[in-house]
Amino acid sequence: MIVEGVYVFTAPPAVVFEALLDPGVIAKSMPGTKELVAVGPHEYRGKMMVGVGPVTAAEFDLRIVLTELTPPVSFLMSVDGTGRFGFTKGQARVSLEPDGTGTRMNYNADLQVGGKIAAVGQRLLDVVSRAMLRSGLEALGKEVEDRLRGVGGKA
Amino acid sequence: MTAPAWVGRSVPRNEDARLLTGRALFVDDVQLPGMLHAAFLRSDHAHARLVRIDAAAARARAGVRAVYTAEDLGDYWQRAPLLVPPPPVPGLVFNEATQVPLARTKVRHCGEPLAMVVAESRYLAEDALADITVELEALPAVTDLDAALGADAPLIHEELGTNLAAHCIQRKGDWAAARAWADLLIARKFRYDRGASAAIENRGVVAQWDRRAEELTIWDTTQAPIPIRNGLAAMLGLRESQVRVVAPFIGGGFGPKIMMFYPDELLIPWAAMRLGRPVKWIEDRQENFYATTQERLQLHDAELAVTRDGKILGVRDTFLHDTGAYDPYGLTIPINTQCTLLGPYEVPNYESEFTVVFTNRPIVTPVRGAGRQHGVFVMERLLDFAARELGIDVVEIRRRNYIPPDKFPYDHGILFQDSAPLTYDSGNYEPVLREAADRIGFTEFRRTGQATARADGKRLGLGIVSYIEGTGIGPYEGARVTVEPSGSIRVATGVGTQGQGHFTTFAQIVADALGVHPEQVDVSTGDTRSFGWGTGTFASRGIVVAGTACHEAALLVRAKALKLAAEMLEAAEGDLQLADGRISVRGSPGDAVSLAQLAITANPLRGAVKPGTEPGLEATAYFGPARGNAANGVHAMIVEVDPDTMMVKILRYVVVHDAGKVIHPVIVEGQIQGGVAHGIGNCFYEQLVWDDNGQLLNASLMDYLLPTALDVPTVEITHRETPSPLNPLGVKGVGEAGAIPTGAAFAQAVEDALAGTGIEILEIPLSPSRLFALVQEAERTHRR
Repeated sequence: MIVEGVYVFTAPPAVVFEALLDPGVIAKSMPGTKELVAVGPHEYRGKMMVGVGPVTAAEFDLRIVLTELTPPVSFLMSVDGTGRFGFTKGQARVSLEPDGTGTRMNYNADLQVGGKIAAVGQRLLDVVSRAMLRSGLEALGKEVEDRLRGVGGKA
Repeated sequence: MTAPAWVGRSVPRNEDARLLTGRALFVDDVQLPGMLHAAFLRSDHAHARLVRIDAAAARARAGVRAVYTAEDLGDYWQRAPLLVPPPPVPGLVFNEATQVPLARTKVRHCGEPLAMVVAESRYLAEDALADITVELEALPAVTDLDAALGADAPLIHEELGTNLAAHCIQRKGDWAAARAWADLLIARKFRYDRGASAAIENRGVVAQWDRRAEELTIWDTTQAPIPIRNGLAAMLGLRESQVRVVAPFIGGGFGPKIMMFYPDELLIPWAAMRLGRPVKWIEDRQENFYATTQERLQLHDAELAVTRDGKILGVRDTFLHDTGAYDPYGLTIPINTQCTLLGPYEVPNYESEFTVVFTNRPIVTPVRGAGRQHGVFVMERLLDFAARELGIDVVEIRRRNYIPPDKFPYDHGILFQDSAPLTYDSGNYEPVLREAADRIGFTEFRRTGQATARADGKRLGLGIVSYIEGTGIGPYEGARVTVEPSGSIRVATGVGTQGQGHFTTFAQIVADALGVHPEQVDVSTGDTRSFGWGTGTFASRGIVVAGTACHEAALLVRAKALKLAAEMLEAAEGDLQLADGRISVRGSPGDAVSLAQLAITANPLRGAVKPGTEPGLEATAYFGPARGNAANGVHAMIVEVDPDTMMVKILRYVVVHDAGKVIHPVIVEGQIQGGVAHGIGNCFYEQLVWDDNGQLLNASLMDYLLPTALDVPTVEITHRETPSPLNPLGVKGVGEAGAIPTGAAFAQAVEDALAGTGIEILEIPLSPSRLFALVQEAERTHRR
């Protein structure tokens, strides 16, 4: 499954980039994430609840690794989730460029989904992932704006 | 013997009272004191290396009695046996890789079992599955048949050094010469994709070890109880007499239940012996999409050479066959395809080459039709295209190529799946075609019917195709017939029964031989304790092979009864008649003795049984046909296609078939109606959809569509009877006939309805969206 798109932040790239490396922000931008802790440099582990169609609230053990970091321009995010109802595995390339006073973010992810969640949730997987992405980006946008205004601060 | 009193009549079925009142035993009905329940941990990955598996937490869960991984099986871990060795075709290559009980080093398809939990309830067992930690290192999956054979393809079985499972060429005549001679060549590529067998009852196994009797009893949804007993006895180190396998009533077999040994079939009995408690496993519907075998992806590249009169000069067919991750069933399916392609036609020159490919999908073994539909689809479609090019109608081109009735037995010159020459025993094809064309109203439809409907804005199409079903193959079956002192007759045979009506048809055969009512004949099937010799229910062979064994055994009993009655009544055997359970002297009805009295007399308490004779009215007989026989038929249908939604409605469906002598017309009609339903599902509803990683994307009945009663019309059936000379009853099999030519007939009909769009249907299954895409594509090509 390929997920790609563009999102525009009101904050400059440096602020967005810093926010994107913060596990608290990552957790907020991935709906269903219950906890996410750093276990190494740019490596995070946590748990995430996902519901797709007949698979309601499946818990995934989540591992996220950020590599190829070029602040404040781009990085590669590898996601590995395994749980009782299947797995998800993939990589997302995230790149930022100035857009006026704000930032234009391009993302392109290639996601593999397997097991029960793919087998019985397939019809809804696309819809669910789009909905998750939308609410995730909205949360991310809000977080970045808060940072820009000096509220929220470090999560 | 006089004309049969019961064979040929649709008597009420002996088993229906039990089935309709819920008294029939199915495997899941088996409830035993102290019974434990098993669940399997299955791989989420299609292809992966097993790095680590840790079941400690699962073992510690309350209520869990055992967790087994491959390591825990010790010497019991072994590859399952190869079921069907390939036939002796010169130059044939076969690479054997059979399935394993639990994955040990790698997994090769989604759903392959990694561990088995045995617990106090299925609920607990399933919960415990989540406690097992598995580390799988994903490998690239092999899903594309062409790419699988490429030099850089990942290997599914490293030890073979290739993903090629088999390669086989069969030839007759000289294809190259036929091609050179041809007035017209038709060349096309075809695709026939995978579906599930979707039996209403999933698989299941219950096993109980009796420590005192030292006996293992297994209830199994198998179509082959005797081979299961023999194999398990050997693997478990028991005598065959210590193992009893019961295949009770089963809600549909369709082929996957003849497969063995499934991992669960190996592990449930083993665990029951180790734990000293009965263990049960019932497959759930989602597991069924992975844990039960499937069919039928093949890719064909075929050519037909014909004269301008539409006479076939030759056929060349090259195809790839997907066997899934393992190949325990040998080459039955692709050989069936290779042979069935020839159909009822004279094909003087034939060259057929197939390559069997391992993929990271569940195992492929026969499902109702077992490769036959592919052959029929390719041949019938080629003939349709030739007819169109030559301006001959689809009925006429078939008629011109039929094997004439005076040419039987007809040797096609290649080998069939039973390793015997592909020789048709008997047949008379033209009247079958004529009758089907008449019943569907072919001439009227072509003359006015289709055009009239079109003027009303309705797009109707007609399809009419022929097929051969090779049925009733060996090696043998047996039966024991006993007249009990009550006068009722007991028949025991080894084949299992999955809804075919054996309790009635075998009873009819025996009733005719012994002059009793079929209700007096009690049939036992599928219990190795009742009868321990035989192979199983497959290849539409039950009535042919086991039915004939019942007939032969009943005749032996009849002879015993007549001999004894002749002594008792002091009459010549030739003067005796057998009717209504009594033997009487012709012309002197008062001089009579019942079968019950004879049974008692034949089992004396005192005196002496004479040397060379046996006590009781009982006999056992076996029947092994020299080779399979050839049933045939024609399917015709009229469809209406909605040009906006591309939904197809089947308005009429006609089947004229010839399966030799019909024992019970309604049962045969049920087989055909059910087969057609299966076929329609295969054409337009059912398709297993896989992604490039070998993930099944529609493993539930929400997404995997089965046809319903609204989608399947009542089939209009005509029986014709050309007896088989290969058995005394003259019967042929009919279990798969309904499902075999459905795709070919459907494609022709839908294409006919969409005439003018330029669409050519070269694939099955179809769907409204696929048809829409094909029409768009055809219209684009036409405009160009």
